[in-house]
Amino acid sequence: MEALKSGVIIYNQSVCSACGVCEIMCSLWHEGIIGPALARANIIRDAFTAKHRHIACQQCLYPGCYYACPLPDKALCIDEATGTVYVNEAECIGCELCIDACPFEPSRTKYNAEKKVAFKCDLCKDREQGPVCVEYCPFQALTYVTKDERL
Amino acid sequence: MAITFGWAGTVLFVDLSSGKVTKVATTDYRPEEFIGGLGLNTRIFWDLGCPEVAAYHPDNPLIISNGPLAGIYGPFGKGLICSISPQSYPRELFNYSSFGGRFSTELKYAGYDALVVLGKSAKPVYLSIRDEDIAIKNADDLWGVDTFEAQQALLANEAGASILVIGPAGENLSRISIILTETNSAAGQGGFGAVMGSKNLKAIAVRGNGAVHVARARDVVQLTSVITEENNQNAGQMGRIFRTPYGSPDEIQEIFANKYYVKQHGCYGCPQQCQSVNYIPGIGLSGSKCANWGWSPLFSDAPRDIWQANVSMQKVGINSFDITCGIPLLLLLAYQAGILSTREIEEDVGLPASQWLGGTATEQEFLRVFFNKAASGEIPYGEGTPRFTEYFRQRLPHGEELMSLQEELYTAHGSAYHHVDNLGSALHWATDSRDPLGSTHEYKDPPPEITDYFGLPPYSGYQILDTSKTVYAGAELVTTWVQENQCLKNSLTVCEYWSHVKSFYKPPELDLRVMESRLFSAVTGIDMDVEKLARAGERIWNLRRAVMVKREGRTREDDIINEPYFKKAITCYGGSMLGKKNGPIDRSKFEALKDRYYERRGWDVKTGRPKRAKLEELGLKDIADELAGLGKLP
Repeated sequence: MEALKSGVIIYNQSVCSACGVCEIMCSLWHEGIIGPALARANIIRDAFTAKHRHIACQQCLYPGCYYACPLPDKALCIDEATGTVYVNEAECIGCELCIDACPFEPSRTKYNAEKKVAFKCDLCKDREQGPVCVEYCPFQALTYVTKDERL
Repeated sequence: MAITFGWAGTVLFVDLSSGKVTKVATTDYRPEEFIGGLGLNTRIFWDLGCPEVAAYHPDNPLIISNGPLAGIYGPFGKGLICSISPQSYPRELFNYSSFGGRFSTELKYAGYDALVVLGKSAKPVYLSIRDEDIAIKNADDLWGVDTFEAQQALLANEAGASILVIGPAGENLSRISIILTETNSAAGQGGFGAVMGSKNLKAIAVRGNGAVHVARARDVVQLTSVITEENNQNAGQMGRIFRTPYGSPDEIQEIFANKYYVKQHGCYGCPQQCQSVNYIPGIGLSGSKCANWGWSPLFSDAPRDIWQANVSMQKVGINSFDITCGIPLLLLLAYQAGILSTREIEEDVGLPASQWLGGTATEQEFLRVFFNKAASGEIPYGEGTPRFTEYFRQRLPHGEELMSLQEELYTAHGSAYHHVDNLGSALHWATDSRDPLGSTHEYKDPPPEITDYFGLPPYSGYQILDTSKTVYAGAELVTTWVQENQCLKNSLTVCEYWSHVKSFYKPPELDLRVMESRLFSAVTGIDMDVEKLARAGERIWNLRRAVMVKREGRTREDDIINEPYFKKAITCYGGSMLGKKNGPIDRSKFEALKDRYYERRGWDVKTGRPKRAKLEELGLKDIADELAGLGKLP
C-alpha cells in the first residue's frame, strides 16, 4: 500500500536524564524481557556533557525500510491507524535489507539475532494507552505526535 | 545455559596476576538464600576463605555485584562492592560500599551477577567486559589521568560502555579513595579505589547486549505502576531535594537553580534520578546529591568555590563525604578550641592556614593543597582522618586532645559521624563494620503509626539528645529490624532513599517488605513472602557476623563506638542535626543493651558470636561447622 503520513515520537533533550526507563519499558512491552539492546529506541548516555541522544525511528514520510522489503505488506507493513511501518515477525525472513535502507546511522531498524527478524518502533500500535516509552518517561522528555497532528 | 529469571546466572572471576578468567554458576552461591549484592558478595568472600590479608595484598578480592532486581524499572540500579577496606580503623575490615549509575545494570545485561577481581597486574591495566568477551588491556596512558578524562578516553575504544574508574588518589593508595562511575556516582566509603590501585587496575568497562528475564512480566508491569506513583509522591522527593547542591544556604541554592542547573541524572532504570547536574564554565559539569561541599556547614559560601571543590574531589577520586566530615573540619574545630595554632597548622601539619584557620590563604588554596596531598599518597594526608590524627598524636604538643576530638567526629570503625542521635543507631554502629550510613536515617523518628505497624517500640524514647529521658529497654528490637533492612536493600538491591520505612508505607496491603517480596517473586519466580524476606535479611547479617568472627576474631569487645560518646555530649556538625548535642550514653546500660541484643540475635552473650542453633536455623550449618573447626563457635 502507499506509505501514509505517520505519527512520530519527538524528544526534548534538555530535560532527558538518560535514566533508560524508555528502553526498559520498550523491551519489556515488546519482548517480555528487559534489555536496551532489544529496545526499539535507545538513549546514548553522555554523562560528561549531559547531552544525551535519542536514537529512534523518525517515522519517515518516505520510509526506505518499507520500500526495501522484499515482502511488502507481509513482512514490513503499514499500520493504518498510526501510519507507522511495523514488522510482522511471522513473515520476516531476516534479510536485513530494511536495515541497510534506513537513512539514519545507526539504523533505526534493528536485527534480533536470536529470532532472526528485524524489529523497529511501531509506536506501540497495539497498546491502548499509546507508546509505552512516552507514558513512563519521568521527565516528559518524549511526546507522541499523532499523524493528524504532525505537520 | 538455562534461562534464569532475575539473576543473570554467572559469577565472573578475573585473576589479574595470571590473566585467567573463570565463570562460575551463580547457583553455586545459593542466590535464593543470599539474594545478590551484599549477601552474594559476602557468601563469595566466605567461599574464598575470608583471606586474612591486608587490603593491598593481591589475594584481597574486589567483589562487585548487582541484585536480582537490577535491570528492571525502578530504584534497583545500585551496585555493591565488597573487599577488605583500607579505610577501616584501627584495623582493616571486610566491608562494603554501594554505588549508583549504570554499571550494575550493564553488568547484568552482559550476563553477570557478580565480578570478582583477584591478583595484581604487573602493569597498569583496565578490564574490558563485552558480553562473553573478557579482556585485560593496557592502561599505561591512563595512569595518572583524572577520572573524567580517563572515562572519556576509554569510551573511544569501549563505545557505549559503563565504566568504574579510579583517580590519582586510588592509584596512590589513599585510604579515602573512591571508585567512581560517570561524574558523581561512587563507591565512596571503604577506600576501595586504593584496592583497585593496589592491583594496578585503573578501570573496568562493561557493555552488555543481553537481557534480564523476568518470570511474571505482567506482575512486574503492574508493580511498576506502584513505583511510578510512589515516585510522584513520597520517595521521589529526593530528586527534588537534591536539585541544587544540598545543604548550602538558600541563596546559594537559588543561584545554582537559576544559573548553573542543567538537569537530573541517576541510576539506570530509576524514575527518581536524584542527582542534580550543574555546569559552571571554567570548572565543569558534574552531579551532586547529599554529600558535597555545599553541605559543609563551616566553609564555603561562594557557588564557584563549592562547585570547584565538588568537581575536584570527583576528578582526583577522593571521598567527598569523608572530606566534608573529616580533616578540614577537624582542623577548624581544633583551631577554635585552641588545640592547634595557625602556626602549627602551617608548619607542623603542613597545610596552608585559610582564613578559617587564622591565616591568610583562601579556602580554595587550602583545598587545592589538601586534595593534591591526599591524592598523591603523601602520608598522612590521604590516610583518612583517624590515621591522619594518629600520625600527629606524638608530633604535636596537644596531640592527645586532637585525637580525642577526632574520636568525636569519627564514631567507630574509621567512619565519620552520621545520625548517632538514637540509641538504636548507636548500637547499630557498634555492631557493624562501618557506618550504617543510609540506614541511620531509619532511626529518625518515623511516626507512631509506622512503628506500631511494624511491631516496633516508639522511637522517640531512644533519642539521646536529652539523656534524662532516654529509654534503654527495647532499643535492640529497633536495631535488629533496621539491620535486616540494611542487608535486604543492599542485596536485592534497593536504593537507600526508597528503602526507607516511610516509603511504600500503605498498610496493610502494601508496605516496603510487601513491595519487595512481591517484586522479588514476580522477577525471579521464587515465591517470597514478608517473613521469608526478613529471614533472608537476618541470614545475611549473620553471614556478615561470621566473616567478622572468622577473619577478624570479632568479639563483643570490638562492638564499640568511641570513648567520648560515653563521656560527654557529642555535637553534630552536619545536616539537619547541625549543632545538636547527643549523649552521653550510659556505659553500663549500653553494655546491658548489648546483652539483650546478642540474646535476641541468638548469639552468645559473653563473646557476641553466633551460636550453632541460630546458624543452623538460618541454613548456615556449613558456616557453623567451619567456625567450630576453628574454635570460634561458642
